[in-house]
Amino acid sequence: MKRKISSKMKTYIIMILPALILFVVFNTIPLITGAFYSLTNYRGYGSYDFVGFRNYIDLFQDARVGQSYWFTFKYAIAGTILVNLISLFLAMGLSSKIRCKGFLRGMYFVPNILGGLVVGYIFSFLFTYIIPALGNALNIEFLKNSILASEKYAWIGVLIVGVWQAVAMNTIIYISGLQTIPSDIYEASSIDGANKWQTFTKLTLPMLVPFLSINLVLSTKNMLMVFDQIMSLTKGGPAQSTESISYLIYRNGMDGGQFGFQSANAVVFFVVIVTISVIQMRMTSKKEEQL
Amino acid sequence: MKRIGFISAVLAAAALPVMLLAGCASTTANDGKIEIRMLQYKPEAVAAFEAIEKRFNETHDNIHLTIESPNEAMTVLKTRLIKEDYPDIVGIGGDINYSNFLDAELFMDISDFEVLSEIKSAYMQIEKDLEFIPQDGVYAIPYVANCAGVLYNKDIFEKNGWNIPQTWSEFTALCEKIDAETDIYPLYFGFKDTWTCLAPWNALAVGLSPADTCAQVNAGKTTFSAEYSEVAEKTKALLQYAEPNPYAYSYNDACTAFARGESAMFPIGSYAVPQIMSVNPDINIDSFPFPANENERDNVLNSGVDLQFSIMKGCKNKEAAYEVLRFMYEDETIQIYLDDQNAIPCKEGDFTLPSMLDGMKEYIENNRMSDYHDHHYPSEMSVDAMIQTYLMDSSTNSKETFLTRFDNDWVRYNRDLINKVRKYEERNK
Amino acid sequence: MSGTDKITAAVKPAKHKNGERVNIPLTILLFVGCITILFPLYMTVIIALKSPSEMTNDAMGALSLPKVFSLDNFAEAMRVTDFGHSLLNSVIITGAAIILSLIIHSMAGYVIGRAMSKNKGFKFIYFYIVSGMFVPFAILMMPLVKQTAILGIDNMFGVIILYVVFYMPMNVMLYSGYLKNIPLAMEEAADVDGASTWRTYWTIIFPMMKPMHATVAVLTALGTWNDVMTPLVIMSGSQTTTLPLAQLNFQTQFGTNYNLAFASYLLALIPILIFYIICQKQIIGGIANGAVKG
Repeated sequence: MKRKISSKMKTYIIMILPALILFVVFNTIPLITGAFYSLTNYRGYGSYDFVGFRNYIDLFQDARVGQSYWFTFKYAIAGTILVNLISLFLAMGLSSKIRCKGFLRGMYFVPNILGGLVVGYIFSFLFTYIIPALGNALNIEFLKNSILASEKYAWIGVLIVGVWQAVAMNTIIYISGLQTIPSDIYEASSIDGANKWQTFTKLTLPMLVPFLSINLVLSTKNMLMVFDQIMSLTKGGPAQSTESISYLIYRNGMDGGQFGFQSANAVVFFVVIVTISVIQMRMTSKKEEQL
Repeated sequence: MKRIGFISAVLAAAALPVMLLAGCASTTANDGKIEIRMLQYKPEAVAAFEAIEKRFNETHDNIHLTIESPNEAMTVLKTRLIKEDYPDIVGIGGDINYSNFLDAELFMDISDFEVLSEIKSAYMQIEKDLEFIPQDGVYAIPYVANCAGVLYNKDIFEKNGWNIPQTWSEFTALCEKIDAETDIYPLYFGFKDTWTCLAPWNALAVGLSPADTCAQVNAGKTTFSAEYSEVAEKTKALLQYAEPNPYAYSYNDACTAFARGESAMFPIGSYAVPQIMSVNPDINIDSFPFPANENERDNVLNSGVDLQFSIMKGCKNKEAAYEVLRFMYEDETIQIYLDDQNAIPCKEGDFTLPSMLDGMKEYIENNRMSDYHDHHYPSEMSVDAMIQTYLMDSSTNSKETFLTRFDNDWVRYNRDLINKVRKYEERNK
Repeated sequence: MSGTDKITAAVKPAKHKNGERVNIPLTILLFVGCITILFPLYMTVIIALKSPSEMTNDAMGALSLPKVFSLDNFAEAMRVTDFGHSLLNSVIITGAAIILSLIIHSMAGYVIGRAMSKNKGFKFIYFYIVSGMFVPFAILMMPLVKQTAILGIDNMFGVIILYVVFYMPMNVMLYSGYLKNIPLAMEEAADVDGASTWRTYWTIIFPMMKPMHATVAVLTALGTWNDVMTPLVIMSGSQTTTLPLAQLNFQTQFGTNYNLAFASYLLALIPILIFYIICQKQIIGGIANGAVKG
């Protein structure tokens, strides 16, 4: 018996090794390199000096970094909730008995493959010209000005686009999750006389918990790392109200000469998201165990 | 233990950017020709450069020239520096990137290059001012410049009999008049793209504050609160003459609006002309320098180096690189470039300037020019976004808030540079 | 909830026609929801058909039909992006990244999913790999440029490898999560029959994960198809272009030709959309065709 386990273990190790090696070489090593630069004033080229923990001290005093955390978190919380609600119901709809299933599934997938330039231009156009025109025609004060030009509400504009694009991916995961639920469970429950809502909360949702937890982690992570929508819609404006953490790290670290400082920002951000995700996973895995 | 050894070995290799310039890629090819590689950062000029490359190779037996015009060239160039895959010649803009590259000691001294004496003095001075710390020698040779001020719709001006304003009060009076007499906007802004906030800002700053403002601040001799007060006031004063809520409209929207005659003027640089013409090929555009002062003689044209060449330090065939540059600076070659792009040559000589620069000609010919102030701002400080924030701030002390922040942020973003400058000043006392 | 019979039962309702009625109100609702996608898509198509001089600064600029209907923009966009070559490179990169991901990630996901609960080491590896998801790309970028150059893979191969690494955390998480729904019973049966773990994996488990393969393939393709940054920084200096890289031709510092760009984006959208439609059939039918029946 013992020998058998060890041979199984050997196979396991062989099977996981390719992934592990690639991961160490192309993720962990560059990460450590980047973390090393966070202790310097490196610009990305040329010579540099060690500055100790100066970048980290600066980080906690930088109002712009603080503002970017505030933006990113309110965006991520609202985004995660919206994306998961919409994509869960969408996935259930698209897994039901409907006509034109293939067409509809293809359609709802499109937002995720439109490139940044198109998305940025189309939604800027929508927010700048079409919605205000609608607002003027219907005399709705709130719609008369472009939402992207408002320091207060621009983040909602970015959020709308972010959610619009993110729904596709989470829907796919929910659809494949729904495939794992055996249909005779539904048949049994309908015989028991459970209504639709009861079936959903008592049957579908618990069965989907592993996928729910994957989707929560993924969408939280994607929303926290929001970058593309900022690049294509607002470039951090107006009045720096939509600068996300990733945007700052990229823009100032790569385009600007702050590679060292932004590496420190990235290291701290990494720690923050890992912490959040671990908490999330703990919570959902408890739920899974209860079932 | 073994694994830790492996990791640290790879890490050491990856972590230490070997800054000894190991020599650039100029190698002698099989056919005995010296290969010179140039990377230039303006993909929109790729057609002109392809023509130039072809002509060069047809006329030279001993040197083979390859010109690359990649998209996102600055990102590409920076990654090349990381890879230590250096081109021989780089064609970049005369801005803070050049200052940083120079500070990183990437370039070769070309003060013995004879063409330098034929370059307009104003541009050589602009080049010199881009050095964080005054260098011995010359590290870049300006090729073409662009300029910024106010573009105006010639047909609309002629139809209404408006004159070109020479002073700030004439300018505001004209704007009032346009506002009152017509249903078009005097000005149009595309402030949704924050960088466009810098266009009126720079154009006003060159007339209202000294060219070396940033260097003076670095040396601790003045503050931005003192130097930029009027610039800030006048930039904000422009808002009343533009479309409402300019933060909703992008650069592209503003170009379209101006092209379609929705505004009489557009405070932007000459670089916007192709985009405007793509919407309306028949538009008649001319320009004038921003009349920032009450006295016409105090006005200065905002002009900076759009493209300049530097030879990388590791280049092995300096003479061959010079030969390429010599060819680049032949009048015929320059004209190929000018015909393709709306640009101002930095070399003295009799070139045909694009007609939309007619109104600026006098300033160009008399060297009444000063560089874009933002060429001295670190890009990570995002001064454009700060200006946008200030313009959107409707509180009464917005100017003070903005300028105080400017001074404070400047110190924070330029800390290492200021130390360097002050050390240099002490040594040279 | 375990038991193969139940999974087999799950197969049937997926193929409709038999049994339940088609839900017409829901179909209508989903079509209505499509408007949020069709409307922007309509704008994209309209802009792609217009010329720059037809663009106006009002709602009609992107809504009114073009004066002349012509596909010139599409032809020009194909010429500017060197469509054939760029498309081929994009297909190679995305295709290779997907195939490698399916093999490498599914093996890792399987091992982790099965051994995690019993073995602390694998649990650690799971969290170690999944945590890689949260590393901001910007911090990795410069070290990766340097590393790929040192290893001599600053080319298409390097880009493929990097994609395999970038999507590893998500895919491993998906595979190991999916595995919870595949009963242990079958492996145990195979074990008793004396089949090796390796053999059991490839003959039984791998085919059973078909719906997840399709999901992983789609998600990986989504991430790689439109990506500009990785090929830009890793292959900088080579003449190889991908579609997103070639599309940068439409944007210069001071001007963008949106009309051509949009035509080009629409062209780039088609292959990936077809790929998705093929894969989503696998997501639906996966279990039916898998080894479960046997």
